[in-house]
Amino acid sequence: MSRAPRPPGRVSPDGELLEESAEELFEDAPCGYLTCALDGTILRVNRTFEHWTGHERATLLGRRFRDLLTGPGKIYHETHYLPLLQMQGAVREIALDIVRADGTRLAALINSVQRQDEGRRPIIRTTIFDASDRRAYEQELLRARRREQEIAQLLQRSLLSGQPPRSADLCVEVLYRPAQAAHEVGGDWHDAFWLEHGRTAGLVVGDVVGRGIEAAAVMGQLRSAIRALASTGLAPGPLLDALDGFVARHRVGRMTTVAYAQLDVSTGELLYACAGHPPPVLLAPQAQPSLLWDGRSVPLNSVALGGARGQGAARLARGGTLLLYTDGLVERRRQSLDVGLADLLAQADRHADEDIAGMLTSVVRAMNDDHSDDICVLAAHRRG
Amino acid sequence: MSALARNNVKVHGNPDGRPMIFAHGFGCDQNMWRYVWPAFEDDFRIVLFDHVGAGGSDAAAFDRTRYASLSGYADDVRQISRELELRDIVFVGHSVSAMIGVLAAAAEPERWGALVLIGPSARYIDDGEYVGGFSEEDITGLLDSMDSNFLGWSSTMAPVMMGNPDRPELGEELTNSFCRSDPEIARQFARVTFMSDNRDDLAAVRTPALVLQCADDPIAPESVGRYVAAALPGSRFVQLEATGHCPNLSAPQETIAAIRAFVDA
Repeated sequence: MSRAPRPPGRVSPDGELLEESAEELFEDAPCGYLTCALDGTILRVNRTFEHWTGHERATLLGRRFRDLLTGPGKIYHETHYLPLLQMQGAVREIALDIVRADGTRLAALINSVQRQDEGRRPIIRTTIFDASDRRAYEQELLRARRREQEIAQLLQRSLLSGQPPRSADLCVEVLYRPAQAAHEVGGDWHDAFWLEHGRTAGLVVGDVVGRGIEAAAVMGQLRSAIRALASTGLAPGPLLDALDGFVARHRVGRMTTVAYAQLDVSTGELLYACAGHPPPVLLAPQAQPSLLWDGRSVPLNSVALGGARGQGAARLARGGTLLLYTDGLVERRRQSLDVGLADLLAQADRHADEDIAGMLTSVVRAMNDDHSDDICVLAAHRRG
Repeated sequence: MSALARNNVKVHGNPDGRPMIFAHGFGCDQNMWRYVWPAFEDDFRIVLFDHVGAGGSDAAAFDRTRYASLSGYADDVRQISRELELRDIVFVGHSVSAMIGVLAAAAEPERWGALVLIGPSARYIDDGEYVGGFSEEDITGLLDSMDSNFLGWSSTMAPVMMGNPDRPELGEELTNSFCRSDPEIARQFARVTFMSDNRDDLAAVRTPALVLQCADDPIAPESVGRYVAAALPGSRFVQLEATGHCPNLSAPQETIAAIRAFVDA
């Protein structure tokens, strides 16, 4: 494109002739300039904008600015950009794509001010910045975030999979339901394994602080640590003490809450301990469900305890079920935990006659249908 | 919880006046009525609110199932009217909120006295003979672009507002973003809005209605406004000189005059 005749130049302090006049500054600024009427009709445009978009000045003047946008951009322009401009007189850093003359898109960031000088028609002044690199970078960030989510999900799935222990005496069912709006995997986990095959089972439900890959990795370490400690024959209280040591030594999983239980499936003898975790529910045939309030202590490595975690004992009758769960099941906004726990007992009682998997589904649905938090429930049923 | 807190309800004007509820559309919040409602405060009881997810509403109250269709939003409006014990209400709805008002009035005719529908559309996507103004691809493109976080939809890349020394009367509100909304909720609201089809809901409405149509409205073109007016029994169609989709902001005086003529009639 041929250059306009050079307007009178200016002289720098050391006598050098500078080419920049106000006109040149406007025309060849490192950003696009547009002046529009309030209805968006383009009244003035600079050379940079012409270069960047490939639209000739003559075709731009008289057109609406919104006609240069993509379909979705038009909607955004009408429902966000214009109302904001009209309410505030200015908007800044609006991301919009401008369709070039050749159909390709210019990723732009747009600033506008509305001006009404006395005796002149009101106008909108707009500067347009080329944001292609920034947009590409944003895309990279999005891709990275998606990739991380996928990895975390994979990791979590591998940690939560596996066949729970099953025998003529024992049936274990689990239900894991992630929060619906969550972008990242949560920190809830469950585990169940034989300590002595066919005789004693270890049952775990825990909740790690945080979400995403980091939480999934912590979950994996704690899960393995519990399995290893349990295999040495530690009872629930001492096992949680030893787990505190693991957490402190390896600086992993502080403030995790966990419920751990050992069930002798032939006698029904149950030992359990809860580190900052909601109390397990005991469902016995022909009896009201009850909460197991013994063996309670603080979350893992939250304060120095010095090996003082207690444990509770109970008996799981034949035909009875033990429920371990995370707080997502009983915590609801604007409601005390007591109400949630009372509801849980009522729902467990109502659905006690269903098979274990059906009971879990019904209780979770009845307790919390807004999918606002992760929920993890483990049911260990001693067959009658 | 109370709908008044959930929807950031603000009541102004004459406590003994006829109630007038203003409902904002997709994109902004109750601030978009700022040039209109003061004109009615002497003789009306003015009720402003934010849809859940917009402005000062309680975003934690968002429930995917409840807000999976416009009737969830209509239920909120009805709940507000019940909690304030409003009767013979004038409902002023912009854009998608026009249909939200239609649904509320159809469900509970005895409570609603008049509907003012600004830039209404019963369906945004073309369908056979019906011209909604958008192709299915347009809307899918919009939703995709929201999904990929373009257009400043996300919280971190959202439009940054700036102060305006030329209009000091806007004061400290300038530090707020009028179009702020939770990106997840905005995404679903966009889906629900632009995929909605309320053509069959119009015939059941018995409330007198006024359709205000702008010239050159790219969101709700004239044919769409005329369709709504023709399908609403006993409605009136008024063509404004204002252009664009937001006459309440771009031409408040003309908008006020049209509403005034309708409610005084």
